[in-house]
Amino acid sequence: MPPETELQLPAAPAVKALACPACGGSVALRAAGYSVSVVCQYCSSILDVTDPQVKLITEYRQAAEALEIQLGSRGTLRGIEWEAIGYLQRSAADGGAWDEYLLFNPYHGYRWLITDGRGWSLGEQLTVSPSYSDYETMMLGDRAYTRFYEDSSARVNYVLGEFYWRVAVGEEVVGADWVRPGSMLSREKNAHEVSWTRSILLDHKEMAEAFGVQKGASWPPMPHQPSPNAAWLGTGFKIFAGMFLLLTVLILAFGGTSWVTAGRFPIAPDGTERTVTLGPIHLGHLYQRVEIRADVPRLENGWVDLDYTLVDRKTQQVYEAYGAAERYSGSDSDGPWTEGSRRSSISVASVPAGDYDLVVDYKGNRWNSSTTWDYARGMSVEDPGWLNQDNQPEVVVEVRGGALFASSFFIALLLLGLPLLIGLIRHIQFDKARQAESDFAPTGFAALTQSSEDDEE
Amino acid sequence: MSLSVNCPNCGAEVVFRSAALPARVCDYCHSLLSRSDTGVMVVGKSSPLPFDVSPVQIGMRGRIEDQPFEVIGRVRWAWTDGAWNEWLLLFGDGSHGWLGDAMGQFMLMRERPFSQVQTRTLKDIGKGKEAVPGAEITLDARKLTIVDARDVLCIAAEGELPFTPTPGWRVYSVDLRGPKGECASLQRDTLATSFYQGHYVTLAELAPTGLRAFEGWTLPAYAA
Amino acid sequence: MSTRTFLYALWCLGVAALFVLSGIFAWSPFAEGGRAHGYSRISGPTHK
Repeated sequence: MPPETELQLPAAPAVKALACPACGGSVALRAAGYSVSVVCQYCSSILDVTDPQVKLITEYRQAAEALEIQLGSRGTLRGIEWEAIGYLQRSAADGGAWDEYLLFNPYHGYRWLITDGRGWSLGEQLTVSPSYSDYETMMLGDRAYTRFYEDSSARVNYVLGEFYWRVAVGEEVVGADWVRPGSMLSREKNAHEVSWTRSILLDHKEMAEAFGVQKGASWPPMPHQPSPNAAWLGTGFKIFAGMFLLLTVLILAFGGTSWVTAGRFPIAPDGTERTVTLGPIHLGHLYQRVEIRADVPRLENGWVDLDYTLVDRKTQQVYEAYGAAERYSGSDSDGPWTEGSRRSSISVASVPAGDYDLVVDYKGNRWNSSTTWDYARGMSVEDPGWLNQDNQPEVVVEVRGGALFASSFFIALLLLGLPLLIGLIRHIQFDKARQAESDFAPTGFAALTQSSEDDEE
Repeated sequence: MSLSVNCPNCGAEVVFRSAALPARVCDYCHSLLSRSDTGVMVVGKSSPLPFDVSPVQIGMRGRIEDQPFEVIGRVRWAWTDGAWNEWLLLFGDGSHGWLGDAMGQFMLMRERPFSQVQTRTLKDIGKGKEAVPGAEITLDARKLTIVDARDVLCIAAEGELPFTPTPGWRVYSVDLRGPKGECASLQRDTLATSFYQGHYVTLAELAPTGLRAFEGWTLPAYAA
Repeated sequence: MSTRTFLYALWCLGVAALFVLSGIFAWSPFAEGGRAHGYSRISGPTHK
C-alpha cells in the first residue's frame, strides 16, 4: 500500500557516513548528492564520492591541520544557518595567502567564508555576469566596482573537507578582483569556466558570534574595507553647509544695529590730550556688544590715541577700551606707500542694559616732527603736519549696539569644520593604505596625494 | 486526463496525470512504466536514487511566473565529476518545465522545439559538432556563453516524466549562461536534440511548500 | 545614521549653542574693551 502522503515522512538524515578507504576513519558527508570530493579529516587523503564505492583520489597520510573554524561547526550569518564543510588554503603568485571555508545549507546552497587574517567576507557565486562600464569599472546591477587586483594565478595549497568539484592541491585558477566599500567582486577563470563571486565584508562581531573566531589585524585596511570616515563625511559636509547658513543668518541679523553719530570734535593742534563726554547712550538689551568707531578724515602721517570709557549713569560701572587711528604714507625706492587707516573701530563686550556716558580721551600725534624753512620769517619752524589748524583735524565718533562678534562667527566655523578636516585627513590616510595593495594606480582621494613618480611602474 | 492503474510489476497504484507525460517510475518497485493507447506496460527498471540532501522532493508545490506548480518527477544525471537533479514541474495550466538543481543553484527551464533555434552554432552542435566552452552565441538577440559541454549519464529517476529515463542513457549536454541569469541547455543523443531555456531562480522565489525536511536543519522562514 | 554622523551633528549643535550663547551675553574673547583696564601700546609704522 502506498503511504497517505509523502510529506509526513520523518525528516531525512542530513549526513551520510563513509569509511575512508585509506585509513578506515569515519568521514561525514554533509552535502551528499552535491559533493564530489571529500578530504578525510584523519589522514588528509582526497576521496571521490560521486560513486557509491568511495574511491581514493590522492592518499596523503598526514594529520589534518587545526582550523580556525572546525569543519562541521555551524553558525548563523544574516539569518541563515550555515555548516562549514570544506576548507581551502590558497595563495597568489605574489605570495599573498588566504583561507576559504565552504559553507552549506540544504535550502540555501553554498557560500564561502574568506579571510586573509584581517577580516571575514561572505562570498556567493553569482548567476549573473557583471559587465564593464569603463576600463576601470565593473558594474553589477547598478553598483560600480573599481578594479583592484589584476588577473593573477591563485593556487590551492591545502584542502580539507568536502567540495562540489574535484578539488586538488596545486589546482590553479586565474583570479581578478574589483572592489567597492564593503564588497568585492571576484572573477575566477580556468580552461573550462568563468565564475563570478561577490563577497560581502562581515563585521568581526558578527563573525565572532556566528563562528567564534578571533578578531584579526585591523591595519592595513582590506581592499574592500569601507573607510570609517567616508560614511559620515558626506552627511557631515551637508550638516556643515546647513550650519554655515544658519550662523550666517544669525550674524547678519544680530551682528550689529546701524551706526549712530555720537559726536564730532576737533583735535588740539599742539597735541595735548582732550576729553569729551558723549551721551547719554541708551542700551536696551540685557547684554550687548558696543562698537565704537572713530573716523579722523584729515589724518596723515600721525596717529590719534583714543581712550574710551563707558560709564553707567546709575551704577557708575565702567567699561574701558583703547583705540587708535594710524595713517602713514611716504615714498621709497618702490614708489609711494601708505599704511594704516584713518578709521579705528573697537568693540566692548558684554555691556549690560542702562544709560551710559561715553567719555573719550583723545590726543593727536605726529609721526615725523620735521621742520621746514619759513622764508618769510627767515627761520626754521616745526611743521605741524596734519595737525595744522587750517586742516581742521577732527574726530567723528559713531556708536552701535549688537550681539554677535564676527570673531565668534569665525571661531564657530573653525570648530564646525575641524572634525570634517580631521575626518578627511584620516579618510585619505585610510584610502591610501587600503589601495597600497592594489595592482592599479590609486583612485579617489588617495590619488590626490600621489606623487607623479609613483605613477610610473 | 488523469489515469490511475496498478503497476503491472508489483500491483501498487500508479497515477499518470497527463498524456504529455507518458513515462513513470513506480514508487515501490522502481519499474519503468510507459503509458500508451493500449495501456501501461513495463519497459525497464530504474536504479534506486542515491541519498542526497536536495531540498526539493516529489510533491513540493510552489508558484513562479504567476503559475502554481507541483514537482512530479526527477531525473538524476551524472558526469565524470559529479551529479545533479532535474526536477519535473507540472504547472497549473497543464504545461511542464524543469527545475535544475546543481551545486546549490536552481535553474528553471522549459523545453523549446529545437527547430525554432536559429543560432548557427547551436544548430551545428545539434548536428553533431563539439561545443567550445567560452564561446559566445546569440539566441533571440540575447548573448549567451557556452559554459559547459560534456557527456552525461542518466543514473536514476522517479515519478512522472515526459520520456523514459533508461539508466545508462548517454546524452551530450551543453550548458549556456547569459549575463542576467539566463540559462539554456542543449541535450543531444544519438536520435534527437532537445533544447531547454530559462533562467536562474532561488528557492525563495519559487515560494515552495512541502520542502524536504532534514534532521538538524530548520526549514527557511518562507517555507515553514 | 552612523554613530559618527550623530556625534558630528551633536558637536555642531553644541557649537551653535555656544555661538548663540555668546550672542546672548554679547561676549567675545577678542573684544578690545570690557571691564578690564586699558593697556598701552607703541605706535608707529611697521613699514620696512
